[in-house]
Amino acid sequence: MAEQPLLQATKVTKTFPGVLALDGVDFDLSPGEVHVLLGENGAGKSTLMKVLAGAYQPDAGAISLNGHPVRLASPRQAQKHGVGIIYQEFNLVPYMNVAQNIFLGRFPHRFGLLDQARMHSESRKLLDGLNMDIDSRAKVVSLGVAQQQMVEVAKALSVDSRILIMDEPTAALTDREIEQLFAAIHRLKQRGIGIIYISHRLQEVHQIGDRVTVLRDGKYIGTRQVGQVTVDELIAMMVGRTITHMFPRDYQPRGAEAVRVEGLASGSRLRGVSLALHSGEIVGLAGLVGAGRTELARAIYGADPYETGRVTVFGRPVKAASPDKMVQLGMGLLPEDRKTQGLAMILSLSENIVLASLRRLFPRRFVDAGKEREVVAEYIRDLRIATPSPKRLVQFLSGGTQQKVVLAKWLCTHSKIFIFDEPTRGIDVGAKAEIHGFMNELVKQGAAVLMISSDLPEILGMSDRIYVMRQGLIVAEVDREQATQERIVAYAMGHEVER
Amino acid sequence: MSATVIGQDIRGGKKPQASWKKMPPVAWVVLAMMIFFGVAAPGFFSAGNFLNITLQGSVLLIMAVAATLVILTEGIDLSLGSVLTLAGVTGVLALQHGLSVPAAVLVGVLTGAACGAVTGFLITAGKLPPFIATLGMMGIAAGLALVLTRQGAIYSDVPAFIFLGGGSLGILPMPTVIAVLVFLLGWIVLYQTDFGRYIIAIGGNEAGARLSGVNTAWWKFLTYVAAGALAALGGVIMAARLRAADPIVGNGWEFDAIAATILGGTSFEKGNGTLGGTVLGVLLISVLRNGLNVIGVGAMWQPALIGLVIIAAIIFDVLLKQRGVIQ
Repeated sequence: MAEQPLLQATKVTKTFPGVLALDGVDFDLSPGEVHVLLGENGAGKSTLMKVLAGAYQPDAGAISLNGHPVRLASPRQAQKHGVGIIYQEFNLVPYMNVAQNIFLGRFPHRFGLLDQARMHSESRKLLDGLNMDIDSRAKVVSLGVAQQQMVEVAKALSVDSRILIMDEPTAALTDREIEQLFAAIHRLKQRGIGIIYISHRLQEVHQIGDRVTVLRDGKYIGTRQVGQVTVDELIAMMVGRTITHMFPRDYQPRGAEAVRVEGLASGSRLRGVSLALHSGEIVGLAGLVGAGRTELARAIYGADPYETGRVTVFGRPVKAASPDKMVQLGMGLLPEDRKTQGLAMILSLSENIVLASLRRLFPRRFVDAGKEREVVAEYIRDLRIATPSPKRLVQFLSGGTQQKVVLAKWLCTHSKIFIFDEPTRGIDVGAKAEIHGFMNELVKQGAAVLMISSDLPEILGMSDRIYVMRQGLIVAEVDREQATQERIVAYAMGHEVER
Repeated sequence: MSATVIGQDIRGGKKPQASWKKMPPVAWVVLAMMIFFGVAAPGFFSAGNFLNITLQGSVLLIMAVAATLVILTEGIDLSLGSVLTLAGVTGVLALQHGLSVPAAVLVGVLTGAACGAVTGFLITAGKLPPFIATLGMMGIAAGLALVLTRQGAIYSDVPAFIFLGGGSLGILPMPTVIAVLVFLLGWIVLYQTDFGRYIIAIGGNEAGARLSGVNTAWWKFLTYVAAGALAALGGVIMAARLRAADPIVGNGWEFDAIAATILGGTSFEKGNGTLGGTVLGVLLISVLRNGLNVIGVGAMWQPALIGLVIIAAIIFDVLLKQRGVIQ
């Protein structure tokens, strides 16, 4: 490369407890270039982005800007070095106006008072430069998503950012707004600003990108000129995660229909979803983060209301669904986030296990401590829960053990239908295989399991059938025999599959 | 996350602690105060004075049990004091209208339960923050009490009613007996029934409890009803002690009840705490009041001193926790 790169990251490594999030990743960015960062959920895109923005400190590796090695110890320092970042969740104050948001924390002063005139004139200049017709006196809360995003861009430019990191900037935009965004990006390119563009939408790579880098499992896979790579080649780079430690499934003919979902719709997150789940099968629900899988699970479970559609459990239509009611019908949900939704961290293992079954265990309302001890001991033994005592608070247990406690809670209710939302996320390999073993055992005993997972090998290894969701819709149903990582990713990312 | 796993995260257990370390700090404060008052005033350590302390602390204990139940759900009830007032008023009015003593007590308690039902409904069905809903009820109940009494105390000297406040069972004053029964009942409900489990689970993780199929709205509603009923019982006993219902008698009681709960180690966050701790909190406030009387500190100075002790006790607690001396 003839030009001095704006940014050069070499061998960046970052670990979190139990996880190697970035493993010696290289990345560089030239002036006036859009460099797309591509990868599956959990590939390391966000981590790399946060390292470059100073939000995370890498364990190893070097970053240089304009050829000078730098240490970005904080987001503020990264900002001083000209690195601006626009997160998916905007950092704007809704009830302040546009100019105040742009200059938040760096208000210009005159005679000890806020220099409103200067704030507004400079904001105008920045927004004009983006060709955006936004009133600098408007309150941010009154703006649309695309306009708020442009305020974020203007805010980044107001500190002379030469590098702009955009995290899925089109995720919440309409087609028209995306056009506007791309036009603004072109203007930024002309000014020599380099843009790191993180996206899940494959078609955008060719629409806006100059180069594309693919990450997988925290590893650098490769960088290509956009003109010289096809979408299929990119998919091949993204998948191909090796399947290891997978529990061998016992497949059997499926039983009666346990759950039927027809035309479930709720705003833009769920746009008419239908599916069926039978006893004795594990149905995988694949898709990207934000495709609406968790929303679907919560709607089926009655945790969130839906506008139209129908849920039938064991042949009976459910009216006025609530988790309370679904539990009585024999359903259990193991939520995505154990810590905030699955468990009460300050309560003991024992209290958590029996919480959903008090009605069944103690119909006369008095909690019999002896019986509770017995029941809990049974699950501690059966699920091989590693704990010094049933009175141990769950916050002191490891992630894998916590997930077993959540599972025990639902086994204790004698549930017949299980919805697992990311059952093994953040869990070590050993516990993961154990959880898979328990799931296999459950369906052998006739339970019906719906499993949401962003882990493709898990989806492929555990499911009888796979539904793929994208943008609030089920876009494909794939049988176990026909499922490949490439096919699922292609469906999930909206790429046409010819097969 | 789906990246390579490089190590297993097994957090070891804590070492078992010496039993004295498990004693809540407020117990030390109570102990220190008792020693201080015992040395400063010879009359402090007498059976009569101790019975006096339990008598004076009885209504506070009932109120604090109510406050604890609510705070354990991560809620708050600012209306407890006003409900105490209002229930005393309706109870005495019922007596004045010729109802029997049990019926009048029931009228009082139901008044409180109704207030609790209204706030509980506003909080669960109306999704109002507990602070707002109970602040509103605080005003409504206090206002109703003023209206019903035409702003003056109303009296009753029905012997069976007076016995509730001034009588005794053996050597134990009736209010003490009732307060102990209320505490036992509260303890059984909290630790031996599913209702108690749900209260604790809602405080620990309301979203999680709901996803576990717990009808969180219903149990929260019931908690406010129970708290209202308990505060009302406190009001009836207070009226029986004074032989009158005073329209402003309960002003500020909600803060004493909340203070006793907090001193007893119950936290506003996640409703982490115990009913046993609350008894210690009540004891602290009661011993302090009694001790100040015994050593002759005027009533004028007492609220300020009690406020200081509360702040000191909480700081003591926080410091010990930060240093890791206690859990």
